[in-house]
Amino acid sequence: MPTPKLKNVSRFLFVAIVTVPVVSGMVYAALYSLGIIGILNTEISSKAWQTVFFGKPFWSAIGFSLYISVVSMAISLAVALLISIKWQKNLRDGLLGTAIYFPLCFPGTVMAFFSFQMLSKSGFVSRLGFNMGWIEDLRVFPSWIHDAYGIGIIFTSVLLITPFFIILFSNLFKTENIASFQHLAKTFGASNRQILWKVTLPILLKRASVTIYLFTIFIMGSYEVPLLLGRQDPQMISVAIIQKIQRFNLNDIPQGYAMSILYVLLILSVVILLFFRNKNFFKTSAV
Amino acid sequence: MMARKILQSIFIASIGLPLAFLLLLSFGRRWPYPEIFPKELSLAAWGFLDNSNMISTFFLSLGISFSVALFVTLSAFFISKHIAYSKKRNTFMVLAYIPYLLSPVVMAVIFQYYFILVQLTGTTLGVIIAQFLIAFPFGVIIYLNFWNENLKSIEELSKTLGGNAFQTFVKVLYPLSKNAILLCFFQVFLISWFEYGLTNLIGSGKIKTLTVQVFNFVNEANIFYASFACCLLVIPPMLLMYLNKRFIFFAEKSE
Repeated sequence: MPTPKLKNVSRFLFVAIVTVPVVSGMVYAALYSLGIIGILNTEISSKAWQTVFFGKPFWSAIGFSLYISVVSMAISLAVALLISIKWQKNLRDGLLGTAIYFPLCFPGTVMAFFSFQMLSKSGFVSRLGFNMGWIEDLRVFPSWIHDAYGIGIIFTSVLLITPFFIILFSNLFKTENIASFQHLAKTFGASNRQILWKVTLPILLKRASVTIYLFTIFIMGSYEVPLLLGRQDPQMISVAIIQKIQRFNLNDIPQGYAMSILYVLLILSVVILLFFRNKNFFKTSAV
Repeated sequence: MMARKILQSIFIASIGLPLAFLLLLSFGRRWPYPEIFPKELSLAAWGFLDNSNMISTFFLSLGISFSVALFVTLSAFFISKHIAYSKKRNTFMVLAYIPYLLSPVVMAVIFQYYFILVQLTGTTLGVIIAQFLIAFPFGVIIYLNFWNENLKSIEELSKTLGGNAFQTFVKVLYPLSKNAILLCFFQVFLISWFEYGLTNLIGSGKIKTLTVQVFNFVNEANIFYASFACCLLVIPPMLLMYLNKRFIFFAEKSE
């Protein structure tokens, strides 16, 4: 057994490394947003907070981020479930089983750049369309990049996370022994449809639920992809915060910090909510 | 059966498409609309490899990611053990998820001030420390799956039989934990290798890692060099995948 001292030092170090950056950062952001510190701040004021809390930009950025992450997640889950259930045998071995790991080698930056070169008005698809005679001019090509609906961002997020979920579901198929449950259901006279909706899908989704929640939050906070493919309005939350703080207009900085505090509090409350709803939520074990 | 084969072939081909496309662009020179493929091919971008700039960028990224992965793998290994065997394990877990769930770039923006105070912004060390702060909780999360009752009993057995702490680690724990250690190392390496927002902010644009360079090239509208930098970015993860595909995949699972 380790000495009690080592145990306590380790736990202290853990809590320190994990909480000090967040807490000290929040303190700085709070002081700055209230005008207590900062270059142009002369007096304590809640102006920045009022602007952020009652203004449109913060909430529209949160809404847009949530929309992007929920839509991307829904599409990815649908595709991943379809492929991992239909091609279960092929995913276990052979070329497909290896090829599916390949997209995990792509960082968001690279995938976003790829999407840009594919989908922009002068991109590959547009060129293909022109040569096939589908469009007469690149100006009539639809806006998929820097567009109001975030189509490019969703497309890229789907490319990034779908392979991950295909692998996850395919692993769960094995570890959760889904094949034998399916067999059992069939023996009891369940139809294929019933097996899918009452057996396969519930097991897969339940077992993957933590990952699904976590990834939804990750996508909400994604930065590189919307930075390359998004536009000024609507913006995703990370991009909006960084822009307020790094912009040339120094008067915007307190608002940027107020936004970052609100965002951190929002994520914190979601995490705490998930934890109190199910205390074992974050108890992980390997797939 | 035939249709499934064809569909799968198309699917596999589409998986390879991004790399093929970026490789092609990296050899491109002129790509006027509406040409489908670059009109002129050249080795200009790859000739850039001769140019010491790109080589140093590549090795700087490699060095940063390697250091972060090494520090996290070592520190998280010893610390995670005491977290895993704690009665408050679940509470610790929630704490571990917080930095990991906040976007790294948002974390960077709120703690950036302290890096400026101690003059760590714009330095390689600063970037390594900042990335460590983001990746450490994740490292602990990876290891928590590994410490279990079974392992605890084996470790206690070794001590009962007279093994000291060092012997227990070298002869018992290390051989059993090799896979977990490698998984943690490579996962953290990838987090660091893929990182852009935090690196750019804490590095004040001066620490030019590969991801930072991709953005620089994109801003200069030099798509051929950007494609080239993208190709360099995906090579190390592919080597990892070749070594063992399990190293590039990690997922949580609910009870």
